[in-house]
Formats: sequence, C-alpha cells, structure tokens
Amino acid sequence: MAAARTARLPLLALGWAILVTLYGILFLAAESERALAALLALAAAAPALGARLGLVERIRASIGAHEGAFGLAALAGVLAAAFWFRDEHFVILMMTTALLLMTAALGLTIQFGYAGIVNFAGAAFLGIGCYTAGVVTHYTSLPSFLTLPLGGVMAALVGSILILPVLRTRGHYAALVTIAFGILFKVFLEVNDTLGGPQGMQVKPIVLFGWNFNSPIRIGDFTASFYFSYLLLALVVLALSFALVRRLERSWIGLSMDAIRLDEIASACYGLDLARWKVLAFTLGNALIGIAGAAYGHLLGFIAPNNFTFGDSLVLVSIILLGGIGNAWGVALAAAFVVILPEKFQVIQEYRFALYAALVILILLFRPQGLLPRPLRAYLGGGAARKPATASALASLETAAAQPPRDEALETAAAAPSDRVRPS
Amino acid sequence: MSRAATDRPRAIVHAACSTGETRMLRTTKPSFGFAFALAFAAALALASFPAAAKDKVKVAFIGPLTGGTAANGIGGRNSAELAVKLRNADPKAKYEYELVVLDDECKPNVAVQQATKAGADRGVIASVSHYCSVAAIAAVDTYNRLGLPMVVWGAVLPDITYRNKYPEVHRVNGTMINQNEVAAKLMTGLGFKKWVVIHDTTDYGKAHNQYFSQFIKADGGDILGTYGVTADQQDFTAELTQAKALNPEVVYFGGLTPIGIRIRSQMDKIGLNAVFEGTSGIKSDAYIQGLGPLAEGSLSFIEGAPIEKLPGGKFFQAEYDKAGYKEPPEAYGAFAFAAMTLVLDKIEEVGPDRKKVTDALGKVANYDSIIGPVTFDDHGQNTVPLISKYVVQDGKWVIWEDSEYASGKRKLKK
Amino acid sequence: MDIALQYLINGLMLGTMYALVAVGFTLFFGVLDVIKFSHGDVLTVGAFTALATYLALQAAHVGSALIQLIVLSVVAMAAMAALGAVIARTLVLPLASAPALNTLLITLMLGTVLREGVRLLYPDGSNPKPFPPLLPTTAFTWGHLTLRLDSLILLVAGVAMIIGVHVLINRTKLGLAIRAVAQDGETARSMGINFTLVVLTTFAIGSAVAAFAGVMNGLYYNEINFSMGLLLGVFGFSAAVVGGLGNIYGAILGGFLFAGLQTVGAVALPFASAYKDVFALAVVIAIMTWRPTGLIAEKSSERV
Repeated sequence: MAAARTARLPLLALGWAILVTLYGILFLAAESERALAALLALAAAAPALGARLGLVERIRASIGAHEGAFGLAALAGVLAAAFWFRDEHFVILMMTTALLLMTAALGLTIQFGYAGIVNFAGAAFLGIGCYTAGVVTHYTSLPSFLTLPLGGVMAALVGSILILPVLRTRGHYAALVTIAFGILFKVFLEVNDTLGGPQGMQVKPIVLFGWNFNSPIRIGDFTASFYFSYLLLALVVLALSFALVRRLERSWIGLSMDAIRLDEIASACYGLDLARWKVLAFTLGNALIGIAGAAYGHLLGFIAPNNFTFGDSLVLVSIILLGGIGNAWGVALAAAFVVILPEKFQVIQEYRFALYAALVILILLFRPQGLLPRPLRAYLGGGAARKPATASALASLETAAAQPPRDEALETAAAAPSDRVRPS
Repeated sequence: MSRAATDRPRAIVHAACSTGETRMLRTTKPSFGFAFALAFAAALALASFPAAAKDKVKVAFIGPLTGGTAANGIGGRNSAELAVKLRNADPKAKYEYELVVLDDECKPNVAVQQATKAGADRGVIASVSHYCSVAAIAAVDTYNRLGLPMVVWGAVLPDITYRNKYPEVHRVNGTMINQNEVAAKLMTGLGFKKWVVIHDTTDYGKAHNQYFSQFIKADGGDILGTYGVTADQQDFTAELTQAKALNPEVVYFGGLTPIGIRIRSQMDKIGLNAVFEGTSGIKSDAYIQGLGPLAEGSLSFIEGAPIEKLPGGKFFQAEYDKAGYKEPPEAYGAFAFAAMTLVLDKIEEVGPDRKKVTDALGKVANYDSIIGPVTFDDHGQNTVPLISKYVVQDGKWVIWEDSEYASGKRKLKK
Repeated sequence: MDIALQYLINGLMLGTMYALVAVGFTLFFGVLDVIKFSHGDVLTVGAFTALATYLALQAAHVGSALIQLIVLSVVAMAAMAALGAVIARTLVLPLASAPALNTLLITLMLGTVLREGVRLLYPDGSNPKPFPPLLPTTAFTWGHLTLRLDSLILLVAGVAMIIGVHVLINRTKLGLAIRAVAQDGETARSMGINFTLVVLTTFAIGSAVAAFAGVMNGLYYNEINFSMGLLLGVFGFSAAVVGGLGNIYGAILGGFLFAGLQTVGAVALPFASAYKDVFALAVVIAIMTWRPTGLIAEKSSERV
C-alpha cells in the first residue's frame, strides 16, 4: 500500500512503457543472431536486476495505481512502433498478427483465467471466425466490415454445441472434450468442399466507406504498408477487448467467476449459479476469439484447415500460460513473445521448432506462474466489488488457494501467488 | 554438420557486412568477442573470396523445413543452395549471391508471412518458393502485391499459375493435369479396367483424384471406389478391406511417400493384390527404402524429361554428391536447382532489379536447364510437353520404356 | 461374414495398440494426477531405438531373427524406461505443486522436442524408415479374410503385455505400492513407501509399455516415422479418458472402443471414410457428456 501511495504520478509506469516500446522496436529491427542474443540476454537479465534494485515492485505499484494512463501509454507505444516500421510490410504483418492473437488470448483468459474452463480448441474458434469472414465475403453480398461481429457470433454459436459437455466435465476430462472438438473441426474443414476443402478459401479484403483495407496508405508524404489498415483495426479491436476484459475482471461478474474457479462447491453454497457464469465465460471468450479470427482471416487473405490444428490451439494456450494465467497484461507480453520469437529463429531453419519448444520448457520450469503472474485482486479502486458477500467469500478462498492441494490442481489452474497482499 | 560449420561464418560475414547492423551491434554490445568474431569472419571472407568484392544480391528460398514434408523441403533447400554456391564459385558471375532460407511449414498462413518477409526485404531480388500447393496458392497474391518475382519449384496444383495472371508468378515443374493424363493412358493401354482410388484429403490428393478420375473415365476405365484418407493417418486396414471386396486390378494412390508406403505395405498385410499406381508424390528413394522388395512393380509419373538421362541431371547429381549433403535431393531437388539457376541467370542478364527480372522471366523460352527446356506461357507456367513414367524394378525407379515390364519380360501383377 | 471377421481383426489390432498407450496415460494419472502428453513421442523414440538396435545387430552379424527381436525389444524398453524416469524426475515432479495445466504444456513441448529430435538427429530422419519384418509372414486365406501369422503373434503379444501390466499392478508388492501412492500419496509416504521411487518406477513402466507398443507398431506396419506418435498419443489419451482415468480396465475398454468407432466410422458411414475421425471424436464428446468422468468412473466422492 505504501508503495502505491508514493507513486502518485504515473511517471514510473510511463517510463516503463517507453522503455518497453524502445525495446520492442529494437527487437523487431534486429536481424543478426548476435543482436538477437544480446537483446534476449538483456530481457532475461533485466527483471533480476530490477528486482534487486526494488524497481520491479515500484513499477508494478505505479502501473497498478495508474492503469488507465499506462494503458494509453501502451497504446501510444504500439502506434509509435507501427509508425516507425510503417513501410516494412513484414514487421507490420507480424505486429498485426500479435495484436490479433492477443485478442484471442484475452478470450481464453476469460475462460481459463476467470471461470477456470479449459479450452484446447482455441484455434478451432479462431478458424470459425476466419471461415465466417471467408464465407460472408465469398457467398454473400453483406458489407465486409460486418464479418467481425458475425465471426464473433458464429464462434459463440458453434461453441454452444460444446456447452453441455463443458458444463458436465472437469479437469482433464474437459480438456479431452475440447481437444476432440479441435481435431474434429480441422478434419471437418478438410473434407468439406463448400468451405474449400483442404485447399482453403480466399478471404476478400474489408472495404469500409469505400476504403479497401488491402491498399497501401498514402496521405501526402506519409506512406504506409498495405497491412497498416489492418494493424489499426487490430489495435482498436484489442483496445476494446482489453478494456472489456479488465472491466469484467473487476466487476462482480469477474468476482463470481473467480470464486467459481477457485472452488465450485463453496461458490454454489454461497448461492452462485455455476452454469450461468460458466456459460457466459465460455461464450464470451469464444466470441472474442471469433472476432479476432475474422480480422485474422482478412489479414491473411487466404485460409486453409491446417492453419487451425491442435498445435495452433496449443500456441494460444501457451500464450496465456507463459503470460501468467488470468493476467491480461501478461497475455499481451506473451503473445508478442510467441509470435515474434519463432520468426526471429528463422536463421536456424529446421532447428527452430525444437529450440523454441525447449525454451518454453525452460520458462515453465523456472517460472511456473508465467512471466507476469496475476496479482491478488485489489478490492478497492476501479469502482468494483460492491457485493460484500461474494467478496469476503472469495477472499477466504484466495488465501486457501495459496497452498492448493495437489489433486485439484487443474481446477485451481490460476491460483494467484500471494506475494503482494493488499488488505482492503 | 560440416556444411553448417562452413556456412555459419559466411552467414556472419553477410550479416555483419550488410546495411547498418554493425552500427546497431556496437551500440548494444561493443565487446571484445564481437570484434574478434568480426576479424575472424573477415579473415574467412578474404580466404574464400580473393577476387575484388562484387555487389551482393540476395535471393530467397522458401519451402517446408519442419513438419511432415520436411524431407522434400530440405532436399530442395540443399539443391537451391548448391545452385547459389556454384554461381558464387564461378569467377564470371557479376554478383555475389546470398541465399535467404525461409520455412513455410507447409502452412498457408506461414507461407503468407514468409512471402511477405522475403518481399518486404528490398534487397531480395527474386524467390524460389514452395513445395506444398496449399502454401503456394495462399502466397501468390502476396508476391504480386509486393512485386517479388518468384518461381515455384515443387507445388503442382494448377490454380497456382492459372487462377490469376500474375506476372511475378512462374513455375518450372508441370501441373498434375499432364501427369494424370499420361497415367490414365498408360494403364488403360495395358488393358487394365478396374481401379480403386485412394487419395489423401489435402489439396494435392484431392486434385489428383479429380483429374485422374476424369481421364480414366474418358479412356473407358472403371472406378469401383474412392477413399479419402487424412495425411497423418497410420492405419488403412479398414479402407483397404473395403477396397479388397471390390476386387480392383489397380490401386491408384494420390498422395505423398509416407502414407504411400503405409498403404502399399498394408495392402500386402490384408492380401489385397493389385498393381500400385502412384503419382509424383511417391517418386522418391524413401519409397523404395521404406518398402524393400514390396515396392517392385509400383508406378509413378513425374513431369519433365527423365532427369537421370539428361546430361544436366548427371551433372546435378554429381555436384550434389560432391557438396556432401547428408539428405538426398528428393524428387523435386532438381527443379529447385533449375529454378534457382534460372533466377540467377536472369539476374546476371538484366541486373538486380525486381521489375526487370520479372520481365525477363516472362520472356523465358526454350531456356536450357537440367530438367530440359523451359518455356513459360502467359501465366508463367512451364509448358512441359513431357511426362516421365517410372516403375520400380529390382529396387530402383526405372524409366518405363527401359523396363522389363514394358518389354514384356515381366508383367505387372494383378 | 469373412469380411466382417477381417474388420474385427483389424479393429482388435488397432485397439490393442491404443490400449497399450492408454495404459501409460492412466498409470501416470493414477500416481501423480498428471497428464504426460509426450507419451506418444516416447513411443516414437522407442521405435527408433529398436530400429537403431536392429541395424547395430545387423552390422555385428547377429543373424537370427529371434535373437534380434528379443534384443531390440529389450533395449528399446529399457531405454524408454530410463527416459520415462528421467522425464518424471526433471520435468514432472518439479511441477507437482504447480497447476496441472503446466505439466500438460511442458510435456507437450517435450513431445515436440523429442519428435523434432528424432527428425533432426536420426540419419535422414525426416523420411519414413522401413522396420524389418522379423516375424514369420505366413498368410492364411479364407475367402476375403487374410490373416498373417505375424499379425496374430503381435495380437497375442499385445494382449499378454496388457495382462502382464495388470498382474504387476494388482498382484505384486510393487503394484501394491503404486496403488497406495495412487490412492493417497501423503498417507503412502507416512506408511514408509518411498514416494519418489514409486513415481519414477511407474513412469518407467508406462514408458517401457509405450516402447513395446512402438516396436509392435513397427513390426505390424513395417514402417516407422518421426510423427507416428503424435496421433497415437492423442488417440491413446482419448481412450484413457473415455474409459476413465486412473483405471486400467478403463484404458483397455477405451482403447478397444476408440478403435471400434474408427473402424465402424470407416466402414459404415455412407460418405467419405475421411469422416471416420470426425465420427469417432463426436461420439467421444457425446460419451463424455453422458458420463463426465469416463465409462468406468473414478471411485471418489466430492471433497468439500
């Protein structure tokens, strides 16, 4: 609490945002192996050094106290990086991909992180969004900007098939249901000819008020890549989803979901309707993934079933695990990491998959809670927590969950480590 | 290993000498180690290129280096790299070439990414791209948008060149249409009447099924049953048991080597005796190695003149062996080599300028390559008049016309 | 009739292999409540170890097929048992207190490392490799039914292996210790059972069984490749879960059920047989909805 008070001005948070932006630009620009290695070493050393100097805590507190300002700064940072690389098609494409995967991973955060529903079919829901975009632009004359909301709706609708099995199963059994669905979805796409079969289908670009998103931008002296429009779109989608997810987390809905994740039976005793919140979390999460998917489909311009394999679902899951389950900021960091790092590994050609997998193993071994573990809920601020009964129930659950018994591990997937308890 | 070891220092030279990276490295880590590496690399560079420094030109190779089709991708990569190496060793070459290798994972989204990466790098003048049809078809728009001339070295789906009329897109290998026409003609000519078709459900297998069925019906053959199987399937006994009940004379298989091997050996397991007729997808040494004596009498068809018989083909194989690659070039390695050589020739001719190279590629006619003469039509498709037919005889792919099967000494077992 | 018999034998063969993989999943889940997803890839490594052993024996001029078979099976199983124990020691046990999701992901990533490792390190590993037919291939034919002696031997060996594991778990002192740890690790520890040792042994046993399945796979299909374990792992996992995790009968039931569904899907569906996996997986989802903890449910009550 003291730390939070001292950081009245968001200076530290803003400084941090600028630093991260600079680092991001350097990293995206780095091409030689040595520059990359140096930057990676820096990233590995910085947190340790920062922790020793006590900087980590202070930056955290500052961000916690001024999250709005930090959010805007992060937005500005992405824009700054985007303008820096505006003509570099490839970098803009990578950035846009990362932004869209962040949005999709936010959808998974609602499911895994808040309500504790496992979903190993993320790529399938992403695919539903992509294919909605493809089908709408291919077979109908609906305006193409409608594909985003439609992608979300379709993903939510298809997801509703799974609601019953997901509600009834738990833990590893629920994992199987979604794994089975993910594989089923891919095989289904492959054998279905109206959806283009294994050859895939073309997705036409978004046209908004006569502006074709696929054309390069030229305003006076300013020119930008033909992916730039998509980057701006992805940024808007991400900002909106991010705001939604953070609001949700702080609201009593998020509180209820947290309670359900931590202990279903106790929550039911407190009168929470398990099914209601689980269905909401599952559907909302899928809708977010679907929206991101539709935008992704337009961005790629061409989609095929083997974009949406079990492996791709795992990439999404590894994003939220690496980021720290339930922490929206961690998701943002990890998505950038997961999208851009394998790309930087292209120099090692056929060895890069093995190396990338080994790196993830090391991170999980040494930082099992992810890069940015989710902090304990702050009960004050943000206008949240107006329901004292649930709040106190949750507080007791969270303390209990600090030492989770082994055998309910998956259900308590994101038990927050209590390194920084802030009493209300 | 030896290749990697000799290549790495060169890669460092290139990376260090190109554009402003040295500056950036200095700002991040001006260390003794770096200076040493630079000196070491420079020494190596001097040792290997004693001539006056030539202008550096980058060319790209894109193919699947990881995942199920990696064998073909790596074979193609080695072959393209060999073409670049030979050119760099040639004192008459005007430029010094650097090969940028990118992995498309045989996935459309990754292919678009990598095409963008190659295209966005203005230093890359041309690209030799894609073994997988699904990757190629997804990425053609990107090459067009970025104005990067490219030559497909392995993907056989007709749409890649024919769906659009992009000046940037070319292909040295033929399409599957020609292949299947010949495949149908040969077998009906031998008096076979009853087929069962098994194809993988990728674009490759499905399109093969479509064209083959079309031609076989035109030639008066009968298709008793068609089975689609997934590309990573291991067990085919259920499908083959069904097929066996239909009593086919020939099993036509549209797909790649790995499942080709599985299907052929499981045919034997459940006693389905029929001629095994494959496509270009099984024309690999791995197919024969994987099956042993069971491979005898299997057929395959591949576009282009019989490479082994052409002088260029022998030259390619000899150079490839000399370079000491541990992986074989596979069926399409020669195409990757030819495509890369073609691209380098055109750059030598018109200079490192994408627009000019695109135009020069568009005008290619009767270009002499190791895969026979190359002529691009208005879609950039090599109009290959020739399809080579192969049959496995005594553990080797033998050109059909030279085989004992054609001379009547042996008979394809029904 | 004879054709139905052929389907039955194909299905039984497939089922035996799935069951062998599923047994591993269920053993690991039993002692540690974890899913070790690299299991399928351990199978691949086992098969490749066997192949390498065979080539070494050939080089050493050990000609007898029987001796070769025994040696390569033993070497593969021993090597995988060691690998399984090492994986448990270095990757699974350290994460015992972390969320189970982490174990799932870390072993999935390990699977990638193993798979890519085989591809990169085994000479020309990207291509499928022929596996020597070491069993007699005499074939019997009745009408449409063709049954080969090697398939029959493999079927018998597979079933014997499953029975062997069953006996080991239910009739031996080691099995008793494993069951004790599975039931309650803490209590087992206080009863003087070496918890770590039992866990490592269990992982070794499960992995050795996977190696056996890998060798069996090689002998049956006469071909192995670096990605063979990927789908086998997923199907084995599905089988274990559908049957009910932590229960060896469940794994066996699930294995044969899954194989049966695939065979029925390929034979009975009127449209493309490519839909057979869609069919099998859809039925699996339906079964999970009907019995959320598998067909043979875990015997435990909700702890509040």
